[in-house]
Amino acid sequence: MGVISLRAVSKSYPSADARLQVLRGVDLEIDAGEFVAAVGPSGSGKSTLLNLVGGLDRPDSGTVRIDGVDLGGRDDRTLAAIRNEKLGFVFQSFHLIPVLTAMENVAWPLVLGGTDRRRRVARATELLERVGLAGHMHRPPGRLSGGQRQRVAIARALACRPKIILADEPTGNLDGATAAGIMELFASLNREDGVTFVVSTHDPMVVSHAGRRLHLAEGELRDAPPGKMLHEDPPHA
Amino acid sequence: MLDLVYLSVRNIFRNRRRTAITVFSIVVGFAAMACFGGFIEFSFEGLRETTIRTQLGHLQIYARGYSQHRVSDPESVLISEPDDVMARIAELPGVAAVTPRLSFSGLGSTGSSTVNVSVVGVDPEGEEEFADFETLVAGRPLEPGDPDAGLIGEELRSGLGAEVGDWVTVLTTSFDGVINAVDFRVAGVVRTGSKEYDSVFVKVPIELAQRAKETGEVERIVVLLHDTDDLPALQPRIEAMLSTFGDGFETRRWDELAGFYDAVVALYTGIFTVFAGIVGVVVMFSVANTMTMAVFERTAEIGALRAIGARRSTLVAMFLTEGVGVGLLGAGLGVAASWLIAGAVQAMGGIAMPPPPGMSQGFQAYFSLTGDVLRNAFAVTVAATLVSAVYPAYVASRIRIVEALQQ
Repeated sequence: MGVISLRAVSKSYPSADARLQVLRGVDLEIDAGEFVAAVGPSGSGKSTLLNLVGGLDRPDSGTVRIDGVDLGGRDDRTLAAIRNEKLGFVFQSFHLIPVLTAMENVAWPLVLGGTDRRRRVARATELLERVGLAGHMHRPPGRLSGGQRQRVAIARALACRPKIILADEPTGNLDGATAAGIMELFASLNREDGVTFVVSTHDPMVVSHAGRRLHLAEGELRDAPPGKMLHEDPPHA
Repeated sequence: MLDLVYLSVRNIFRNRRRTAITVFSIVVGFAAMACFGGFIEFSFEGLRETTIRTQLGHLQIYARGYSQHRVSDPESVLISEPDDVMARIAELPGVAAVTPRLSFSGLGSTGSSTVNVSVVGVDPEGEEEFADFETLVAGRPLEPGDPDAGLIGEELRSGLGAEVGDWVTVLTTSFDGVINAVDFRVAGVVRTGSKEYDSVFVKVPIELAQRAKETGEVERIVVLLHDTDDLPALQPRIEAMLSTFGDGFETRRWDELAGFYDAVVALYTGIFTVFAGIVGVVVMFSVANTMTMAVFERTAEIGALRAIGARRSTLVAMFLTEGVGVGLLGAGLGVAASWLIAGAVQAMGGIAMPPPPGMSQGFQAYFSLTGDVLRNAFAVTVAATLVSAVYPAYVASRIRIVEALQQ
């Protein structure tokens, strides 16, 4: 069993007329250390897939296992602990806490995990140096560029040494050069630290870094060979 | 927990204008509550000290059985040898005066008019401390060695048509039931502040009262302290002292004798409770509005916190801490504002108040910002802000993470 395992996962949302089926019986296995890109047109269910994998949402049916732990039926406390310890999140809009400095933002998952202050500071310092922000540790997000904010978000995602990082359109708000830098960082973390990445994206540059691509269309998922953007293909081709 | 407090404090100051408006409303509410509480406290103090220093003293000592037999057989519950007891109690530190009393009712007459009077026989020497709250309107106070002199209330002067120097005859019955009359010359006219009391008030030397009642004994010994706050500590010492004279005495504190004071305190406390409730509700709505806006503005942030491992309970704690933080800030500044207002009133010479019901004089009111007054206002304010943060905190904890992150 992979570090991420989905079995017959379905998810729908209420819409004006009827329920909108976003995922239909999705099966997925992702092994530790993989770099996976989820691609597909807007509304294809990429973000929903990441949300379910991340325990941010619950499927209508099916099972989601993270590192062997079934997320189904878990209470808030357990899910929060799994998100804190096993998963890291990187969002398109960064979602940093504006009243905290870069250092404090990175350390905050460790606060939630109960790590003492000395270790938090050491870990946050190490990570911010790793993402190239050694000179910006005490700046609030408002005084950082988009790329710097995303680097802070990546450092935050890594704070608790998670096995998996889920990144939802991580380059969506960045210019090309900055986006390339972020993806290099992802690739390096994947390569050197063995962190599993699942990235939803429309960006061919991001896809080019992935070792595996998942194509989502009309609620269904299939693997695709690397090197080509599957959503450019006709659906179900 | 400290980290949560740190984050809450940072959040409190992220929108400074809104926080300032909220804190201002709390400060106004706090100051209103504290000043009103201070005014009531001042009124209590005034009424308490008037009651103690004009009538009751801090502690009254009676012969054992006085409370049971004072009506049916008053002569059996008189104190026959008060001098030793009074001398020993007077030696205690904190005791300002110890004086005997013998009181009775009768009819006072100047020949032209006759009215009911309430006569209290006192020792003029030990009475100086009690005269604090009596305002001499005409004449002079009682002096030692002046056995036929008496003071009358201002209202009683009108009733009797008597002036300083006039003779008044008091008709009463002795303890044996024999009708008796004594005369005194009006040495002075006083105002105690209470019209009702002034209309019957007669104060004479105790020897004259004893002559009227045909006894050499006294009804009670009144103990006056320098400071009312010393009473809880001194009462047991006085009672221990009395026990060395045998089992012949019983004591009553002033507050056990002052029914009117208790009624006033109950009434004012009720009024203050209603007022504090209204202020608390205003503060609650003010803070709830701010906190609810904060939750809606920070929905995405809430989603991010949840995504990185914050539990629902963590968010509840965070928003409650923010609510309490705003409350503490407002209450802290409220204390300063209240002191400023109280200081300004003090500097202005007080607020002129009309005579209270049943009283003959108006008074200058001040705000007595005692520890209790400030503690109560602080508690109400912080409790109100805590309660007002409960709903926004609950809302924040129930926001769906996925929807929050889409904000």
